[in-house]
Amino acid sequence: MNLTRRQFIRNVSVAGGALTLGFQLTGCSGKPLQLGSEADFQPNAFLRIEPDGTVILQVPKAEMGQGVITGMVTLVAEELEVHPSRIDYAMAPVHSAFGDPEMRLQITGGSASIRVYHEILRQVGASARETLVAAAMQQSGLDRASLEAREGRVRSVDGSVDLGYAELVPVARTLAVVGDVVLKPADQWRWIGRYDQRVDAVAKTDGSARFGMDASPEGCLTAVLLRCPWFDGAVESFEATEALALPGVVAVFATEFGVAVVAEGYWPARQAAGKVQVNFTPPGGGLRDSATISAALEAALDGEDFASVRDDPATAAAEQGERVSARYAVPFLAHAAMEPLNATCRLTADGCEVWVGSQAPDLARDVASRVLGVPRGAVVIHNQFLGGGFGRRAAADNVAEVVAIARELKRPVKLVWSREDDMRHDWYRPAMAGAIEARVHPDGRISHWQHRIAGPSINQQVLPVMMGAMLPQWIPGGPRQWVGDFVGKKDFASVEGSKELPYAFDGVSVSYCNVPVPIPLGYWRSVGHSHTAFVVESFVDELAHAAGMDPLAFRRQHLPESSRQRRVLDAVARAANWGNAPAGRFQGIAVHDSFHSCVAEVVEVSRIDGKVQLEHVYCAIDCGQVINPDIVRDQMIGGIVFALSAALHGEITLKDGAVEQSNYHDYPLLRQTDTPPMTVVLVDSSAPPTGVGEPGTPPAAPALANALFAATGERQRRLPLRLG
Amino acid sequence: MVAFSLNGREVELEVDPETPLLWVLRDHLQLTGTRFGCGMGLCGACTVHLDGAAIRSCSTPLSMVAGRRVTTIEGLGGSHPLQHAWVEHNVPQCGYCQSGQIMSAAALLATNPQPDEESIRQAMSGNLCRCGTYHKVQQAILSAAAVAHWQPAAEDAS
Repeated sequence: MNLTRRQFIRNVSVAGGALTLGFQLTGCSGKPLQLGSEADFQPNAFLRIEPDGTVILQVPKAEMGQGVITGMVTLVAEELEVHPSRIDYAMAPVHSAFGDPEMRLQITGGSASIRVYHEILRQVGASARETLVAAAMQQSGLDRASLEAREGRVRSVDGSVDLGYAELVPVARTLAVVGDVVLKPADQWRWIGRYDQRVDAVAKTDGSARFGMDASPEGCLTAVLLRCPWFDGAVESFEATEALALPGVVAVFATEFGVAVVAEGYWPARQAAGKVQVNFTPPGGGLRDSATISAALEAALDGEDFASVRDDPATAAAEQGERVSARYAVPFLAHAAMEPLNATCRLTADGCEVWVGSQAPDLARDVASRVLGVPRGAVVIHNQFLGGGFGRRAAADNVAEVVAIARELKRPVKLVWSREDDMRHDWYRPAMAGAIEARVHPDGRISHWQHRIAGPSINQQVLPVMMGAMLPQWIPGGPRQWVGDFVGKKDFASVEGSKELPYAFDGVSVSYCNVPVPIPLGYWRSVGHSHTAFVVESFVDELAHAAGMDPLAFRRQHLPESSRQRRVLDAVARAANWGNAPAGRFQGIAVHDSFHSCVAEVVEVSRIDGKVQLEHVYCAIDCGQVINPDIVRDQMIGGIVFALSAALHGEITLKDGAVEQSNYHDYPLLRQTDTPPMTVVLVDSSAPPTGVGEPGTPPAAPALANALFAATGERQRRLPLRLG
Repeated sequence: MVAFSLNGREVELEVDPETPLLWVLRDHLQLTGTRFGCGMGLCGACTVHLDGAAIRSCSTPLSMVAGRRVTTIEGLGGSHPLQHAWVEHNVPQCGYCQSGQIMSAAALLATNPQPDEESIRQAMSGNLCRCGTYHKVQQAILSAAAVAHWQPAAEDAS
């Protein structure tokens, strides 16, 4: 999520008056937050210390593999003076205290968690520490200067006082929380920038980690749902006599989302579902096939229906220089997280409880309350580990479905999507097309950069849903959709990464044409950057070749001398030994800013007898101050693997409005044998930390396309790419 | 009635013998460490051992394990050298596929205690990881293989 999107959401929420601004340690709006017991020392919403000294951090963000729990624990531990391995954690409940201060939702996205929370969490730790020290002062009669907090204890300099935090809890909980704290200077850090042990690693290696799929309230049934293959159909009729006769089958009924088949366990439910005949209402109009969608995007590029999002005039005359132009296209993509979507619901006296791995638990709560027709406060969300998120779990369609099923049952129920359901009912990264041109001058200058982008708007669809959770529920859907339609005209999620072109070209214009499709769209790791980086950095490469320059030298020439882009380019070029690839090896380079971080990558391929193979990927990132170096490296590598899976294989196609792919055989991912070695360089920085979950993804596809051009002389402008 | 050995303990179940072992483990025995990923043996998230060999439990009917030894991630006990190596190398990201990765790796080391990188890549190519932890998986296996005192049969000793 880029700054523009967040600012927009903030403006909407402020206009709606639904949310208060500012960081509240106690979370005083809405219901009071009750966690733990009266005997605990709970200086703020995030932290509590139990009488036995157990420290528990409420993690306000979803853990989907990006290491956010470890990062947050590290930040708190640094100031609290407790070793990170001695801090327990819990997934925070839905509460205004845990709403993202920028996004106004309790949402995990936009690679924002550490950027937004790093200072807050250090204050959380420091404030607790100083209050514990104040308790020790009261207990010992010594002054602040005589006491030091370290390793979960407060000791006096002379050794006469040595109190564990557990011993200080009874006094600390009665004191006013010390709010005015000084954070430790960087040269005293013990763990920030160094701590490299994931705190969730043990639970994720012995099978004990609890994902949404593992929720199992007593007496829980399992449901599967037969959805309409096209996205605008509803159940017209169904026949379930044979299914109902099968052992273990409890019920078969229609919901607004499809026909639910409920049984004692997944296997009987799935077997019975195979025996149910469903008639759906026929598909409506609109663009329903991949071929017609591609043609519509091409036609849009030929038209004039564009909204300008950036227009810096050129000083050079329009007819000067050599005109270079190209068209690019990218397909729909699925998230294909390893854990198929699921959710579990138990009805309560006045509402329900939902167990789900969600990137947006307050959105899940809003959706559940609407389906059940109860106030939001009557819904309790138990957030779980996410078996991959990548943006998919920011939607709550699975929650709406399970509540609609639970509504009809007397027992709790877990809805399990099959892999096929997951592949065919995603909120997809949209297919997009781009037309781009520029003029190359004899001296290497570039002018009249014009990038036109055509494709469906994600936010036209998603913002109205998100706003449902941000605004009072009495505000009807119409105005929310109106905002979505308005934003869709210049959707920032369609143009991010193009609009902010960092090169000092003479005249830059970027414009967008929204081409709506009746297919659900969503945020896919790096969102708009996932396609704009491919187009922009491929075309920059084309311009370098048109100017007769080395692609790295060309980029450097057009970037400000002290820019972050140049720093990461230089770092990755050194790591990759740019320009000196061994015989038979070819390199491609790309640099891209996203989520306030800057990443450059070099992909190296070999070409032997016409066969091209990935050999190595080099990456350099500037993400400001690194908290956990190993996690940053893993996020870069993971983001690159994610991008290369898409760049080499990813393509969701539609026929008659339905998705044709179904499982990992026809939507393949990179495997162990396909993944080349990688090298990641973390560029030194003491600037505030910025995103790492997504920024590794955007540069990989263009770096690969540029390497393929170097190897074959053929410019591929359409994803997925062919190797040789 | 189907009887088999599960993590060193005898179990008897009145379950449709066509039910895939995965759902017997998860729904009937509450052993949720074995994960559902694809249902077609394509992703490896559901990998367990049958008589010491790695199999895909989503595509193995219960009838096939009658009278045989099944070991799941819970049966490795948490102190298997691979589990230590996994933690030491920070292998898991989201963690969902890791039970299957570890079970595939354990079956590899049982037959090939000193695998080279290429054997590891080949043996692990049936286990998908959407987070892209493949390098770490490789490093952790190499590091566990270097633990000289490890007895490959230990997993069934319980």
